[in-house]
Amino acid sequence: MAMAYDWRKEEYEVTRPGRTRIDYRQEIGRAHVPIGIEREFAVLDPERAGALRAWVCTLIPARDERPAAGDVGAAEYIDATVFLTPRLRGVLLDAIDTVEHMAQKLTGGQFAEATPPERTAVLRAFAANDPLDAFPMVRDLTYEAYYAHPLVLDVLERETGWRYEVAISGGDLEPFDERLLDRMRTVPPRWRNA
Amino acid sequence: MAHDDERDVLIIGAGAAGGAMAWSLSRRKVDVVCLEQGDWVPPTLRPKNHLDWEVRARRSWSPSPNIRQWPSDYPVASYGDDPISVFIYNAVGGSTIGYAGNFWRFTPSDFRVRSLDGVGVDWPIGYEDLAPYYTINEREMGVAGLAGDPWSPPREPLPLPPAPLGPQGQLMIEGCEKLGWEWWPTEQAITTRPYEGRPACDLKGYCPFGCPQGALATVDVTYWRKALRSARNGVDLRTNARVREITLHPDGRAKGALYYDAEGRLREVRAKVVVLAAGGLGTPRILLQSTSSRHPQGLANSSGLVGKNLMVHVQTFVIGRFEEPVQAWQGTWGGAVSSRQFYETDPANDYLRGFVMSINPGWSPLNLALQVAPWGANHHAAMDAHLNHEVVLFCCGEDLPEERNRVELDWDNLDAFGLPGVKTFYSFDENSKRLGAAMITKGTQLMEAAGASGVRDFGISPALGWHLMGAARMGSDPASSVVDADNRAHDVSNLFIADSTSLATGGGVNPTSTIQAVALRCAEGIWERRRELG
Repeated sequence: MAMAYDWRKEEYEVTRPGRTRIDYRQEIGRAHVPIGIEREFAVLDPERAGALRAWVCTLIPARDERPAAGDVGAAEYIDATVFLTPRLRGVLLDAIDTVEHMAQKLTGGQFAEATPPERTAVLRAFAANDPLDAFPMVRDLTYEAYYAHPLVLDVLERETGWRYEVAISGGDLEPFDERLLDRMRTVPPRWRNA
Repeated sequence: MAHDDERDVLIIGAGAAGGAMAWSLSRRKVDVVCLEQGDWVPPTLRPKNHLDWEVRARRSWSPSPNIRQWPSDYPVASYGDDPISVFIYNAVGGSTIGYAGNFWRFTPSDFRVRSLDGVGVDWPIGYEDLAPYYTINEREMGVAGLAGDPWSPPREPLPLPPAPLGPQGQLMIEGCEKLGWEWWPTEQAITTRPYEGRPACDLKGYCPFGCPQGALATVDVTYWRKALRSARNGVDLRTNARVREITLHPDGRAKGALYYDAEGRLREVRAKVVVLAAGGLGTPRILLQSTSSRHPQGLANSSGLVGKNLMVHVQTFVIGRFEEPVQAWQGTWGGAVSSRQFYETDPANDYLRGFVMSINPGWSPLNLALQVAPWGANHHAAMDAHLNHEVVLFCCGEDLPEERNRVELDWDNLDAFGLPGVKTFYSFDENSKRLGAAMITKGTQLMEAAGASGVRDFGISPALGWHLMGAARMGSDPASSVVDADNRAHDVSNLFIADSTSLATGGGVNPTSTIQAVALRCAEGIWERRRELG
């Protein structure tokens, strides 16, 4: 068995090469962007960069010790990803511009300056009519940038006990105790003789 | 076009079956050449060598060839009511490089499905024919576990002791004991002690994402190390070799294969015997590409069944959430403890055949967040509720062969050398749907008995595509099968098809152990008939 990965029940899609719509998952497959390093924006201008930072902070806001996604470089990570995947640049730029336009209509101001409830309302409206899958793309990349960041992983260990470093450095468990099988060793054969 | 002198045996594919065959034949000093579409996996590509392994697992290590897009990959499109989420790797070691090492033997009833239950087909061989090869394979791969499971026939001791239970295994045992269900430590291809030059597993977990030290028995570190060890008798393994077609002599026997090397140059290999072991999709792809006036529908396809009767198992995950932390980060992925309580057909059920359940640690943070954590204000609360509070029960059940479930060539989506991709078509039948529903019901019952305060599951669709079997199946009748009991193609006397495609039915467990046992038996048959074969 291999482990199921990224299985989101409500929206899971089986990838299909050759589909006319851009599938962001296929586009980013060969793009590796290191996490946890400081970088500047390579695709987005400052105004759009501010909007995207507000967007990712709305997806994962700060809480107590846990930073907001925008504080661990999620917006820059998304920018760096679409820098490596030119077909996605237009998707991201269009999405930011649309969100900005919707914010103007709803609040009369910029998305980055809206209140958290207003930002949420704008993003919900955007996600409801998103033919290019820009919303799930930004969300997935935000989650990647957040949950692979050392700062976040450290906080998760302190707050939930989930020890991330074991996956890298190894762990220790008691060997299997055969005495647990005492009852099972009394069970008669169950397999069907064929 | 360059070609070599005729070799004894050409093996196409260096995965679970091809690696086992190459080892078996080369130790008898057979002159073996192996063409592998992919390459060796370098350590830097294995996600678990990096802190951001969860992200790499979604990209460069994605089990979908459409996403990772290695140079060796071909496109795979999925159709049907239950389209397959394909999990394959094209590399030395094949898809074992991304497996978890569950290493079950089939049971005797798995080979007699038609006779016992009136569905599917019988194999032309039985458990007793494969038993000696299971034993050899467990020794060579290095399998951990304990003999004595009442759901298996008596067998020799395994070479390595079982993996540690971990907190998840303990929970599963508690649940089983409360319900009076039977359980047993899972047989896993993992070194629980140092073994044949491989170090002991140090429990990094999340095994499919590239075991860094070779404790997981992927075929690149087991059979291939041995098969290549001897300079004199070692196998001639050629990587980055994309087979375009199997060629024929005028008398209809297989002559060899045409392939593109890494630079795109067309090459030819000739051999007395050709073995196809390119995997559940790769093998029918090559057969269907190998058309000629003699075989207009593809090689070895007089039955019309090449590519058909594809099977994937009915699979799901049932996830229990516990109020107390469960140390969900550690333990082997593959599952330290399993239950085959519902493995055999029970007339009281509304379905035929059965399934296995194996307990695993919980999901890692990114994977979990993508499953359960909504964006926005409730994001962190959802992570608090699930991270380190869940265990994952893997459920796998039998899915019977049906002609409508199939592999076809996809000429609209080509690989880097203009060769076609594949299309898969898959829909579960009513029996599989009922079996899937029972898996979820029983898995939920088990989690609740273990103390879970909440249970969720993945359903059974889309179909998890780890176990791709049956698309060139074994049988006695050339009209209803592609190869005979010895894996020899009915239509081509010196062509053998010796991988997962030859499995007539798929049992209800992970198939790697059986795939390799079949391959080792096939290799021995080739050796015994070497004078007849050339």
